[in-house]
Amino acid sequence: MNFIAFLSFSVLVIIILTLVFGIVAYFLYKMRERQRRKGSDIITYEELKEEDGRKYLFFDEVHLR
Amino acid sequence: MRILIFLLIATAIGIFYVWSFYDIKLVYDSFENAFFKFAIILVAFFTFIVIFRYISFIFFSITKTAQKTASFNLVNKNFRPKVSIIVPAYNEDVTIATSIKSLVTQTYNNLEIIIMDDGSKDNTYKIAKKFEGNFNGKTIKVLTKKNGGKSRALNFAIERSSGEFIMCVDADSKLEIDAVALMVRYFKDPEIAAVAGSVFVSNRVNTLTKLQALEYIEGLNMVRNGQAFLKLVNIIPGPIGMFRKTDIMEVGGYAHDTFAEDADLTLKLIEKNRKIDFEPEAVAYTEAPDELLDLLKQRYRWTRGILQAIRKHSHNLFSFKNFNFTFVLWYMLFEAIFWPFMDLFASMLLIYISFSQGVNTLLIYWWLLFSIVDVSGALYCILITNETKSLSFYAILYRLYFIGIVNIAKIFATIEEWFQIEMSWGKLERKGI
Repeated sequence: MNFIAFLSFSVLVIIILTLVFGIVAYFLYKMRERQRRKGSDIITYEELKEEDGRKYLFFDEVHLR
Repeated sequence: MRILIFLLIATAIGIFYVWSFYDIKLVYDSFENAFFKFAIILVAFFTFIVIFRYISFIFFSITKTAQKTASFNLVNKNFRPKVSIIVPAYNEDVTIATSIKSLVTQTYNNLEIIIMDDGSKDNTYKIAKKFEGNFNGKTIKVLTKKNGGKSRALNFAIERSSGEFIMCVDADSKLEIDAVALMVRYFKDPEIAAVAGSVFVSNRVNTLTKLQALEYIEGLNMVRNGQAFLKLVNIIPGPIGMFRKTDIMEVGGYAHDTFAEDADLTLKLIEKNRKIDFEPEAVAYTEAPDELLDLLKQRYRWTRGILQAIRKHSHNLFSFKNFNFTFVLWYMLFEAIFWPFMDLFASMLLIYISFSQGVNTLLIYWWLLFSIVDVSGALYCILITNETKSLSFYAILYRLYFIGIVNIAKIFATIEEWFQIEMSWGKLERKGI
C-alpha cells in the first residue's frame, strides 16, 4: 500500500468514526437534557409561594399522600 | 504584504482544486448510474462554493482592513457621545464581578453601565449591587426584574438607559480596555446602525476550547471582517455589540420569539437598509464550552435560533426589493442548512465510493483541499490578530473532527426546528475562567 492510499484509508476511518461519534454524542446530549428537565420539575415551597403570590399555600389531602 | 499572502493562498488552493478535479473526473467516469454522477457534480460544486467563500472572505477582510486604516485618519476625535453598556445577567454570580471590573476600566469615560439582573436565583444581584455608584466618571446602575428571558431583560434596560448608543455585552464577557472607544467612532457615520466586535475564547484549557478559539478567529471574526466590507455583518455577537439607540427603538428592540435574538435584531436592522460594521480590534473574551455535550447544546441553540430568525423574515427570501437583505438571508440559510447537509452528503458519498470501489485517493485530496483552506485561513488570522501560532496546528483536526461533529448537531437541530419540536433556553454553566 502506498503512502497516499494509506492516508486516504486513515481519512476514511476518521470520517466514519467522527460521524458515528457525532450521532452518539448528540443523543447523549439529548438524554442529558431530558434528565435535567425532569430534575428541574422539582419546585421549592418558597418558589411555589412566590409564583402563587399568596402568603400561605393550601394543599388538598390528595397531594399529601 | 497581506495581498501577497492572499495571492499565494488563492493560487495554492486553485492549483489543488484543479489537481483534485482530475480524481473527481476519474470517479465520475467510473459510475454508470445517473444519480451518482449527479451526486459527484453536486459535491464538486459545493466544494467550489465553500472554497470560493473562504477566498472571498480573506480578500474582503484584507480590503476592509486597508479601507478602515484610510478612513479613520479623518475621524473627529471630539465625537464622544454617551454610551450605555447593558449586561443582562441570569445566575451569573461566578462571572459578574470580573465582567463589571473589565467595564469600569474602559478608557472611554462617557459611560453608563447597567447590570440587568433577570430574576437570578443565585447571588448575582447582591454581588452586582456592591458596585453601584460612580467610578472614574462612569455610572453603574443595577436593575432587577422577574425572570423573563434575555431579550426582555435587554429591552427593559434599554428603555431605562440614557445613552445615545447602546452596547450589549454578555455577563461572562471580559472587554479590552479600549473596546468602547474603538467602536463608538463608527457612529459618526449616520448610516451605521450597529457595530460588532471581535470575540476571543478566554478558557483555552483543552483541545475542544482551542478548536473553538481557532473557529472564533477564523470562522467568526474573519468572516465578520469580510462582511463588514459590504457593511452587512449578519450577526452582532452577544459578547460585544454596539447599537444606535434610535435604530433599536425603531425596529422594536429585541424579539422574544427566537432563541437567537441578536441575529433577529441584526436582520431587522438590515431589512430597514441600515448598515452594520465590524471593529476587529474591539475585543471581548468569552468562555467557550469545555465539554463536548455543552458545545452541542450551544450549537443546537444557535442553529435553531438562526433558523427561527430566518423563518420570521422568510417572505423576503424571494422578494428582491431589498437585495442586500435577501442576499443576507440566503447566505445565512447556506451556513445554517446547506453547508452541514452537503458536508454530511459528501462524507456519505465518499464512504460509499470507498466501499464500492475500494479506498479512493480522492478522499485524501478532498480532505487536504479543505485543510489547506483552513490552515491558510488560520495562519492569516493568527498573523493579523497576534494570536498564538500553535493554534494553526489545530486546523488539521478542525475539519476532520470538530466541523464534522458540530455539523451533525446542526443537522439534528434543523430537523427538530422543521418539525417544531419544543426546546428550552438551556443556559450554559460558567466557570469564570
